[in-house]
Amino acid sequence: MGFLSKASKSMRQSNYLSLLRNFNFNPYINRITHQCSSVTSALFCSQSRQSSTREKSTIDLSEYPPELVRNFSIIAHVDHGKSTLADRLLELTGTIKKGHGQPQYLDKLQVERERGITVKAQTATMFYKHRKSGNDCDDEKELPNFLLNLIDTPGHVDFSYEVSRSLAACQGVLLVVDAAQGVQAQTVANFYLAFESNLTIVPVINKIDQPTADPDRVKAQLKSMFDLDPSDALLTSAKTGVGLEQVLPAVIERIPPPPGRSNSPLRMLLLDSYYDEYKGVICHVAVVDGVLYKGGKISFAATGQSYEALDIGIMHPELTPTGVLLTGQVGYVVSGMRSTKDARVGDTIYHTRSIVEPLPGFKPAKHMVFSGLYPADGSDFEALNHAIERLTCNDASVSITKETSTALGLGFRCGFLGLLHMDVFHQRLEQEYGAHVISTVPTVPYIFEYSDGSKLEVQNPASLPSNPKQRVMACWEPTVIATIIIPSEYMGPVITLVSERRGQQLEYSFIDSQRAFMKYRLPLREIVVDFYNVLKSITSGYASFDYEDSDYQQADLVKLDILLNGQPVDAMATIVHNMKAYRVGRELAEKLKKVIDRQMFEITIQAAIGSKIIARETISAMRKNVLAKCYGGDVTRKRKLLEKQKEGKKRMKRVGSVDIPQEAFNELLKNS
Amino acid sequence: MLKSTFTPILWALTPKPKYPKHPPHAVTNTSTAHVRHNASVTTPPLPSSAYVHLPFCRKRCHYCDFPILALGSFSPHDDDPRVSNYVHFLCREITATKVSPNPNAPLQTVFFGGGTPSLVPPRLVSLVLDTLRIKFGVSQDAEISMEMDPGTFDADKMREMVLLGVNRVSLGVQAFQEKLLKACGRAHGLREVHEAISVVKSCGVENWSVDLIASLPHQTEDMWEESLRLTIQAQPTHVSVYDLQIEQGTKFGRLYTPGEFPLPSEVQSADFYKMASRMLCDANYNHYEISSYSKSGYECKHNSTYWKNMPFYGFGLGSASFVGGVRFSRPKKLNEYMNYVQNLENGLVNGSVSADDRTHAKDMAMDVVMLSLRTATGLDLKHFQETFGRSIVLSLLKAYKPYVESGHVVGLDEERKTIRIDDLSNSLLDKANTKGRLAYIRLSDPEGFLLSNELIAIAFGVIDSWEDRPPYKEIA
Repeated sequence: MGFLSKASKSMRQSNYLSLLRNFNFNPYINRITHQCSSVTSALFCSQSRQSSTREKSTIDLSEYPPELVRNFSIIAHVDHGKSTLADRLLELTGTIKKGHGQPQYLDKLQVERERGITVKAQTATMFYKHRKSGNDCDDEKELPNFLLNLIDTPGHVDFSYEVSRSLAACQGVLLVVDAAQGVQAQTVANFYLAFESNLTIVPVINKIDQPTADPDRVKAQLKSMFDLDPSDALLTSAKTGVGLEQVLPAVIERIPPPPGRSNSPLRMLLLDSYYDEYKGVICHVAVVDGVLYKGGKISFAATGQSYEALDIGIMHPELTPTGVLLTGQVGYVVSGMRSTKDARVGDTIYHTRSIVEPLPGFKPAKHMVFSGLYPADGSDFEALNHAIERLTCNDASVSITKETSTALGLGFRCGFLGLLHMDVFHQRLEQEYGAHVISTVPTVPYIFEYSDGSKLEVQNPASLPSNPKQRVMACWEPTVIATIIIPSEYMGPVITLVSERRGQQLEYSFIDSQRAFMKYRLPLREIVVDFYNVLKSITSGYASFDYEDSDYQQADLVKLDILLNGQPVDAMATIVHNMKAYRVGRELAEKLKKVIDRQMFEITIQAAIGSKIIARETISAMRKNVLAKCYGGDVTRKRKLLEKQKEGKKRMKRVGSVDIPQEAFNELLKNS
Repeated sequence: MLKSTFTPILWALTPKPKYPKHPPHAVTNTSTAHVRHNASVTTPPLPSSAYVHLPFCRKRCHYCDFPILALGSFSPHDDDPRVSNYVHFLCREITATKVSPNPNAPLQTVFFGGGTPSLVPPRLVSLVLDTLRIKFGVSQDAEISMEMDPGTFDADKMREMVLLGVNRVSLGVQAFQEKLLKACGRAHGLREVHEAISVVKSCGVENWSVDLIASLPHQTEDMWEESLRLTIQAQPTHVSVYDLQIEQGTKFGRLYTPGEFPLPSEVQSADFYKMASRMLCDANYNHYEISSYSKSGYECKHNSTYWKNMPFYGFGLGSASFVGGVRFSRPKKLNEYMNYVQNLENGLVNGSVSADDRTHAKDMAMDVVMLSLRTATGLDLKHFQETFGRSIVLSLLKAYKPYVESGHVVGLDEERKTIRIDDLSNSLLDKANTKGRLAYIRLSDPEGFLLSNELIAIAFGVIDSWEDRPPYKEIA
């Protein structure tokens, strides 16, 4: 104990200092250091170059060789209790204080908390004393202290690349299953993701306090579907706390330590990054091999850019400087980088001038979905521009170029990883930056080839000439290879859906007596808008769906124009398969008829392919809008009414003489 | 009280378009005057019109959301304290109103609106008129109008009113169908309508108006045609045709949705409007304002002050005034109104001038456009330009161009001749030749009037986005 008390004294003081210096004030830090009982190492001081940032680190990571480190992730179907379990583990280890702070601690974005989803990867480092079985030393102070890194990953298919990178930093996962609901679609998808990455899987049957909980049934499912030993499953209730004490011991006992080589040159995996107004870009990293000291020169393999590691440390649970990150550890690096565009998820970070093999699996962000974003009120362009710049600082996976629409004015063409990503981007623009936007119908990048041999890549349907001078010789569209796993009773409706979406079956088999496994080639366009939602709804949520990019394929594509009183509305143009053009044209015209108000003129809505009209609707002219009544000279009442009417007009978008309400654009977004 | 709902509003006697000099100028002159006035508060233009609110009704009609006081079904006698108390407060308000020292402005029009002013005993009406005479003076040939409801007066009462000086009657007939009168909660039947008409005519009231409501629930085209026909047969000098508005908080508001049965559809309702316009114009009435028709020379002078954006006093519960460039509405609740009068007497409120409410240039431009476009005269571009600048006139014309093409808006020259579309833009530039140069724009009858809200809202949009400083920068 002598050792400990000495440590804590020195700690107290150094803590205090570090609190003063630390931008992220953390009320728990004091408590934590006592628990951790580590000593400031002179080593770190010697690494500090500037006296102003001289830090006496409160945590000595050198006490945690890989054998004492565990990196794991929690994966689960939506609402099976992933976030609550994470909160409990953070509390249990004293990383956050019980009953303080917000629930779903790691879901920091409002959009994540509202939707119960994770969009950005987060990490949290915890310390936990555990007597490893077989170790018979029972003196408490001799109990080894373990460093546990929880890596929280997104769950949606849009982010499957990000998930794969996060899992690449883990050696094991907690597979959380609701004790009443049992194995669900995302459980399956997540299991396979972890399984294919060769991770150790610790099944956790959660919510056992529910009256309908049936852990034995769930155990049987885990056995039959994943061949997981029923006796391996932990029974917990993150809500009541039952069984939680078994979780971290299981993590330590079952999940292997990170396999990296301490003596090899530094290689770090970039997990995710975010932008901090004061510090610049903060990268979440996992050290695969070697060691990084504060002040070290580092390079990013994908961009070739070099930086100095100005500040490094761990997320405990907020930024906690440590001055060093060793093999197998997970933490953050601040390097003075200005934009997250230079911090690509999955990139390899290494010591400048050293020569290393980049870590496998890196892919640049691939934009699958494009849509136009316009300020809802035309005059707000600058505000939107600013909001987008700020948001892309934090979400570099979006590509942005300026574009102009005759209907909507100045705006942006944005490329997204997928539809949820697009949704989340919109929501964050509104929630975090107060921007009001109109989005055009999402599209995918097509390629058109003309008779003169020229090729045109189309990210915006409006940019495709409706009546080209050159004949179109061929068109190509991107496809994906989709994997669908469903309970076999849903096969019928799913096959119908997939063939409606022009899917081509590649493979089909049964995983067991209940589950079917299907592989399809699908045009990306067909899954981009609402495929996942429809699939989930026709399978009561049981379908699991994943896809990977595949080749472009030739298709009979046409541009579908929407015309109002003969004038094409560029923001409403779409590219569709010829076979579907008539149906889509009719649907769009009908939908617009419902959302455009009657005006002083008759309005003709037409859908056209080139100069051929394929659908037509008419909105008859407004007949009467008059206040044939007034109030004893009280003009104010009348004024107010007319001003309201004027304001309504102002919010409309105008094409020719037709006023289009903003809802019309939003309406087109729904299942088109 | 019907009337009250519909109240006195619109009609006015705008000079007819045919005499170009007078009317058009009136509109702009006043606006200019206001502007100047705002610049230097010392010489306010004085109102020469007064609206007096007499809020008593037998009962509330089903469509009415006006500030009224329902008395019950008996006819009030001279000493009903509710009526005499109110009239005393009203007279105190008139007396306490601050006026400029300039004495040469006797009232040219007085309008008793309600409520049902004909329920008020003549003795009390006399008291109000005397108070007005003492305070402001009332011109010898002033137009003194009163809203009167069938069933609330007989020949004796009518004669008494005439003796007091009432020389114009606005008769709240509303419909010529027993069923419809009942359905909208009127306190009288068809018999009273016919009696009232003959009383008004027999008492020698030369200038009188029939008020009608179109688009009542269950009203058919035949009924509406009958109402118009019987109105024309009665030969009033003026007809007001209101369109039923469904107001929140009224019985109709709870029962009906505009455009849905039993209310007529938008198309039917537009047809009613057109039928009124056609039948009344065929019977030699001028459609001089959106809901007002009159025989030549019988436009309502009082209401014309509203359309011309001229100042007017307002007295009584919930009434609106426009004095010194400031619009002001009195409290709509009786006790608040009485407090207001007391505060006015004690000098705690000023009655009209409140710096925050000062009419600003944009507001004034909107008022001028909104009010003038309700009339057949239309907007006098020359004066509008003098007051607010050329750029706004050009923007307005640009915005209206498609509606000139569609026939909703009409351009007229100084002599009130329609300008062909092709000549419209050129005509503005032609400085030398006044003949054929655009001088007015108006809404067409009936198509433009029917869509007046849309068209005026478009003009509001133009004014709203108007950034050029008008020539009179002194307006704060």
